[in-house]
Amino acid sequence: MICGGLSNVGEAIVMEPVIVRFFRWLKSSAGITILVTLVIAAYAAMDQGAYVIINILVTGGMWALMAMGLTLMFGVMNISNFAHGEYFMIGTLVAYYVFTPLHQHLESHPNHLLTLVAPVIAVFSAFVVGGMSGILTDRLVFYPLRKRSKENWLMNCFLLTLGISVILINAHQLIFGTQYKGIVRYWPLPPVSLFGVYISIDRLFASVLAIVTIAIFWVFMKYTKVGQALRAVSQDETGALMVGISVDNIQLLAMIMSCALAAMAGGSLLFMYPSYPTVGLEPLYNSWFVIIIVGFGNIAGAAAGGFMIALLQILTRVYVGEGWEYVIPVLLIALVLIVKPNGLFGSKVRGIWEK
Amino acid sequence: MKKFQDRIGLSMPGLLFGVFLLLLPWFPPFNKEYILRWLIAALIVGASAIAFDFSGGFIAVINFGFMGFFGLGAYTSALLAIRFHLSPWLTIFIGALSPAILGLLSGLVSLRLRGMMILCFTWFVGLALMGLATKLVFLTRGSLGLPCPTLYKTASNVPYYYTILGMMFVTYLVMKLVIQSHYGLAFRAIGQNMEAARTSGINPLKFRVVNFILACAFAGWIGGFYAHYYGVLTPDLMSTAKTTEVLVIAYIGGRGSLWGGAVAAVPFVFAMEVIRSVLSDMPGLNLIIYGLFLIFVMLYYPGGLAEGYRKIVAKLRVKEIAQH
Repeated sequence: MICGGLSNVGEAIVMEPVIVRFFRWLKSSAGITILVTLVIAAYAAMDQGAYVIINILVTGGMWALMAMGLTLMFGVMNISNFAHGEYFMIGTLVAYYVFTPLHQHLESHPNHLLTLVAPVIAVFSAFVVGGMSGILTDRLVFYPLRKRSKENWLMNCFLLTLGISVILINAHQLIFGTQYKGIVRYWPLPPVSLFGVYISIDRLFASVLAIVTIAIFWVFMKYTKVGQALRAVSQDETGALMVGISVDNIQLLAMIMSCALAAMAGGSLLFMYPSYPTVGLEPLYNSWFVIIIVGFGNIAGAAAGGFMIALLQILTRVYVGEGWEYVIPVLLIALVLIVKPNGLFGSKVRGIWEK
Repeated sequence: MKKFQDRIGLSMPGLLFGVFLLLLPWFPPFNKEYILRWLIAALIVGASAIAFDFSGGFIAVINFGFMGFFGLGAYTSALLAIRFHLSPWLTIFIGALSPAILGLLSGLVSLRLRGMMILCFTWFVGLALMGLATKLVFLTRGSLGLPCPTLYKTASNVPYYYTILGMMFVTYLVMKLVIQSHYGLAFRAIGQNMEAARTSGINPLKFRVVNFILACAFAGWIGGFYAHYYGVLTPDLMSTAKTTEVLVIAYIGGRGSLWGGAVAAVPFVFAMEVIRSVLSDMPGLNLIIYGLFLIFVMLYYPGGLAEGYRKIVAKLRVKEIAQH
């Protein structure tokens, strides 16, 4: 079910010229959506300047990572994770507490190499700690529930993730306080000029990181054994068990990947989102927004949707005003749900729903 | 035709609980004003949990924007009372209409979809309402807070206590009677197996929308009481954390029981307030306990209080039969 767009065996057999297939895809709702998005993005870029595009790439890439993690978790474990934003929060927190001491050390002992590498260390440790918190969550919460009973699984898991979210938010408040823990920038370097726009290295790094990660993720899911196992479990758990896939380990892996991606997004956006207890709400909202718009269980759609949501937010901020980001999406979602209830990238998720 | 007391699910423990709540404000330490305030907060959550369970426990639709509808009722009632100088007693009923209408609209859009989609959509609606309350400063004064007239002119909390107790009882009564009617049968059929319900000629959309409207209207009604009790409204009221609180109480009480939420709310919210005031130098600790409690209940006792009560009653029945 999460293979939407990743492996379309049926299409590969029909040998049509690429151009015909491309036009057929363009006529599907996915194609139309992406085309419209590109046109709007181009218009906004001409109207407001090319920095719009850069902002879309920076935040959109990160929302895409988060939405992909959510989709993966939903597909493989059937968990609708409402604590996903809290892993983003963990990422920002870890990156802050790794980067700040390094930064202070650098001020007294200048070292060019370390200046370049320190942010990467921070983001990487966010990634690692996010993954570890994923392991902890799975072993402490979801693993016991899996062993106990699968009855009413979707609902129970939703409530459990709510509980996890409450605990993590308040643990942050209790231990680290409510003040903003943020940094001005990662790299003390002048911005680079690209197509006549000045981009700070931080933003460039975040967008490149997002795009590279999406690419690696894609290759991983499509071509490696483990990726195939992940897809197999998401399609049919019993079937996967029968062909000798360790479903438990695969589910653990999905959890780790999902949490690590969210934490990495948090770590690399620290310069935009300072760490505080409820910083995760906006990323959570955005990634669920992506999933509702593109349809459940569609990783490729989630990746594209992240950028679309980022565009929508920037347009809202520029043309409607700050603070309306929570109002406008509802109208759009209502429209999408009326026209295409399965989401714009329409994938058929059955099975779990009927349980 | 069942007897009336059976239809409203009246039993000896239920009656005792009602009498207990009626007499509570007269016994120390509960006759202190600040403790009464906590009790009223608990009853507001309890009444909300009943309305929440009406859709969550029967048609399996989680209204994750519940407090958005609650707040819409509160703001409508407060604004009507301020702008048109109407009596708050009138406006809390008119105020319940606006969440009902919004419930109809959002129900028509989302209720033909599956559970998780509805959950997300109602969540977004709730957040949008919160966003509107924050941004429409000329109307709601945004996060400054909207002062509004109170129901009674006294400083005492006792009349408020009995009002919300009565409202909780009415909410329970109306919802229980609906559940006992043929509508309730359809709700349960949809909640248990939608395809089977559809095959037996039930239109899921119609029944779900009816259920949703009723739940939203009651949410708005209780919201109206909230507005005219505290006398000030902030958009914060509609936050997801508040919805989570109601949801958790409803689930600890036991889904599909209606009364579970009301019974769970009083000791639970009360205990939370006590913990919060005792551990005031450690903000957030009470909510961590709350989250842990939720996880433990969900992991080890997913049926909640209602399930425990059913088991005890069943055991007593078995003993009774064995004695005969």
